[in-house]
This record gives sequence, C-alpha cells and structure tokens, in this order.
Amino acid sequence: MLGLMPPKLFPGVDRIVATFWRLIASGVLPAHALGTLARLAVGFALGAVAGVLLGLVMGRSRWAEDVLLPLVSVGNPIPGLAYAPLFVIWFGLGNLPAVLLVGFAAAFPVAVNTWTGVRAVKAIWIRSAVAMGARERQIFRKVVLPGALPAVMTGLRLGLARAWRVLVAVEMLTSVPLGLGWLIFGAREFLATDVMLAGIAVIGLVGLGLEKLVFEPLERLTVVRWGMLAR
Amino acid sequence: MRLPRTRSVVGAVIAFGASALAWEVFARSGSLPPAITPPVEAIVAAVAQMVRDGTLFVHVGYTLARIGAGLALAALAGVPLGMLMGRVRPVERFVLPLVSVLSPIPSLAWVPLFILWFGLGNTASVALVFYAALFPLVLNTWTGVCAVNRLWIRAAESMGAGPGAIFRHVVLPGALPFVIAGLRQAFARGWIAVVGGEMIAATRWGLGWVIFDSKEFLNTDVMLGSLAVIGLLGLGFERLVFAALERRTVERWGLVQGARP
Repeated sequence: MLGLMPPKLFPGVDRIVATFWRLIASGVLPAHALGTLARLAVGFALGAVAGVLLGLVMGRSRWAEDVLLPLVSVGNPIPGLAYAPLFVIWFGLGNLPAVLLVGFAAAFPVAVNTWTGVRAVKAIWIRSAVAMGARERQIFRKVVLPGALPAVMTGLRLGLARAWRVLVAVEMLTSVPLGLGWLIFGAREFLATDVMLAGIAVIGLVGLGLEKLVFEPLERLTVVRWGMLAR
Repeated sequence: MRLPRTRSVVGAVIAFGASALAWEVFARSGSLPPAITPPVEAIVAAVAQMVRDGTLFVHVGYTLARIGAGLALAALAGVPLGMLMGRVRPVERFVLPLVSVLSPIPSLAWVPLFILWFGLGNTASVALVFYAALFPLVLNTWTGVCAVNRLWIRAAESMGAGPGAIFRHVVLPGALPFVIAGLRQAFARGWIAVVGGEMIAATRWGLGWVIFDSKEFLNTDVMLGSLAVIGLLGLGFERLVFAALERRTVERWGLVQGARP
C-alpha cells in the first residue's frame, strides 16, 4: 500500500474484499466451496466409519490390538499429503484419489482416539453391568459405547481438522473439477493474488465454521447431555 | 519408561510381516502392473540404493534443516508472544482475534501465495513451517502462562520476589509443560507442512520433493521407500526427541508425573 511492494503481489484489503464480493456474486466462490465441502463430507464419512470400527476392534480384542496398533502408530505420523502422488498413480486424477486420501488421513486420529476411549471405560462399570445380568451386546451398547464417546468425539474432531488440511492441499495436486484448493492454485498462474487471498479467507471461514457450527452443538447434544463431560 | 512387552513385540512382527506378505502377494498377482505396485524387495532395494549413493541423507538433511529453521523461528517469535499475551492484557486483546482467525487456515493453502512472494526454494518451505508451527506455540504458551497457579505467584510475592524473579522462577517453569506440548504439536504440524511444501515449492532436495519427482518417472519403489522414511523419522522425533525433552525438563522438575506418550 505504501508502494514498497508491488501491488500485484500484495493487493490492498479493498481489492481483496471487492474480489471476494465479485466472486460470490458471480457464483464462482460458492461453487468451488460446495465442491470442496462435498468431497470433505464423503471422504470424512468414509474415514470416520473405518476409524471408529478399527478403534472398536482394537479396544475390544487384545489380539487385534497387538496386531493393528503397530500399523496404526507408524501410519499416523506420516503426513497424509505424502501419499498424494501415490494415490494419483493408483487412482488417477480427479475426485477419487482426493476423497480416498481424505478418508485415509482422517481414519488414523479417529482410530487412535476410539481405541483410547474404549480402553478408558472403567472395568468396574462393565463388571457391575455383568453382575446385573447384562449380555455382551447390551454391555457394548449401554456401557462401552457411551463411555468411549467423549474420546471418539475428540477423535472425530481431530480427524475432521486433518481431513480439511489434507483436502485443500490435495485439490492442488489432483486437478479436481471444482475446489477451493484448485481455485488458489489455478489463480497463481494468472498472478491473481486477490483471488488467492479471497480463497484463503473462505478456507479459514469454513474451517472455523465446521468447528463452531458442527462439532460444538454435536458435543452438547451427546456427550455433555449424557453427563460424560462437564462443560 | 515402560519396557515393551514381548506380546506386543510379537504382535508388531506379525503385523508388519502379514502386511508385507499381503502386499507381496498383491504386487506379484499381476492384477496391476508392477511399475505401479512394486514388490517389497524392490522398495527395500530402492532405499538401499539411496543410502549407498548418499542421496537419502541429503534429502533427509534438507528436510530436517528446513523444519529446524522454521521451528526455531516460530519458537523465537511464538513463545515470547504467548508469554506477553498471558501477562499483558492489551496484547492479549489485540493478538487473540488475529490468531483465532488465522490458525484454522491450513498452512498448505498458503503455498501458491508463498511461492509468488518468496519464490521457489528454501524460503517458501521455511516460511510455511514457520506459519504452521507458530499458532500451536502461541496458543499453548498463552494457555500455560494463564494456567500458572495464582497462589504460587502470590506466595513468591509475599516472600519478596520482584517481577523478574517471579517470571524466571515461577511463571517460566509453570508454563513449561504447555510450551513443550506446544512444541510437540508444532513439530507435528511443521512435519506435514514441510513435506507438502517441498512437493510444490522445493527445487532440488527434500523428502517431499523426491516423492513428487519420482512420480514423474513412475518410480513407485522410491516413493514408497521415502514414505517409510518420512513415517519413521516422524515417529522417531515424536517418541525419542520430545519424550526425552519432557523427561529432562518437566518431569525432572516434578511438574508432571510420568507424562504418558
């Protein structure tokens, strides 16, 4: 703004805001955001289901824990994005590798936290349910599941945050048809820094919105209401 | 430290053996071309080759240097900022909204912009690590300073400690567990950022770059080998470096007992 830096590279706030409104009015930004959100929803759903199942199996069976835990703990610290080129080779370009990678990356924190949650269920709760004549299924449904839920929620939260991070980056690499990551990456070719910054702002807003509008109410409705977690 | 049980060691061996075997069967079944799914020995040979000609060490060195520089800069900026936020009200009121808007933006979303601003190469990767690592450090340090027990400060005051002494002997050690937890998170985030940043912004060396570059030549064995190196390094840093750091400082001063991994 002081002319120290070329305005092409560092556009003023007025430019960014104007571009932001222009892109929203023309429907470009909403279309890209919807594409990204749809991909996030499908990928995260896959990852959440796989992660919860994996975590439950690991938590309930010693044998499964011994075999699966080493695999999960080595896979967990590898950045999901590092798999992106491999997924592109295996599954081609477009939506499929992006969705699969998102699910893959999200499954690890969900599995680890579900496993921790199941193990944190107090043995005395299970024993008292057994003493009251509960069967295996009932113990699982009425004791283990609610007991593990706070940790599972934490895992889902971490998984969603990770999925969101990976998705934005992977959209840059797999040339999906519509997506916020692709929007930013494509705008670089035209030196449209205002479009890039507007896209980044939307990414930040959506990330904040997912946390505040999806998870906090969900947590209130389940964990806090059942008295598993004081707020 | 808990010794690993023989049971879990056996389990780990079975797990890795079984998955290697499954991969081998899948790779040799011919359902997909071997260029896409290389057998295990090809992956091992690729890593061995990279070790022998020394390129692996150069890649690892570059990646570690980038994340080290980014983390160091983030710690130099983030820890004092977090401390200031915890101790000085106006700073907190000014910085906190900025941090909470910027921190949910994935660092990799900035890559294309950072390339335009800093050019291809090291600066963009280091800046990316800095961005990714800054927020966990600031937020954790701030929480840590706020969580220092009021009683400790008042006790120190009544024993005649000045502000400098209180800061050095009460606030600093009291906030340290949080700072170290922040450093741990910052490393995890920086590790993702450096690999992703190298894929897009690096020009010659780096573990992320080598994966991306091998894709061009369909060297899937090199890609899978580098992935394994990335995973092992990340796990190693988490388990060895940060666990040791925690034992050396925080546990020794008796602030947390036996922090579990």
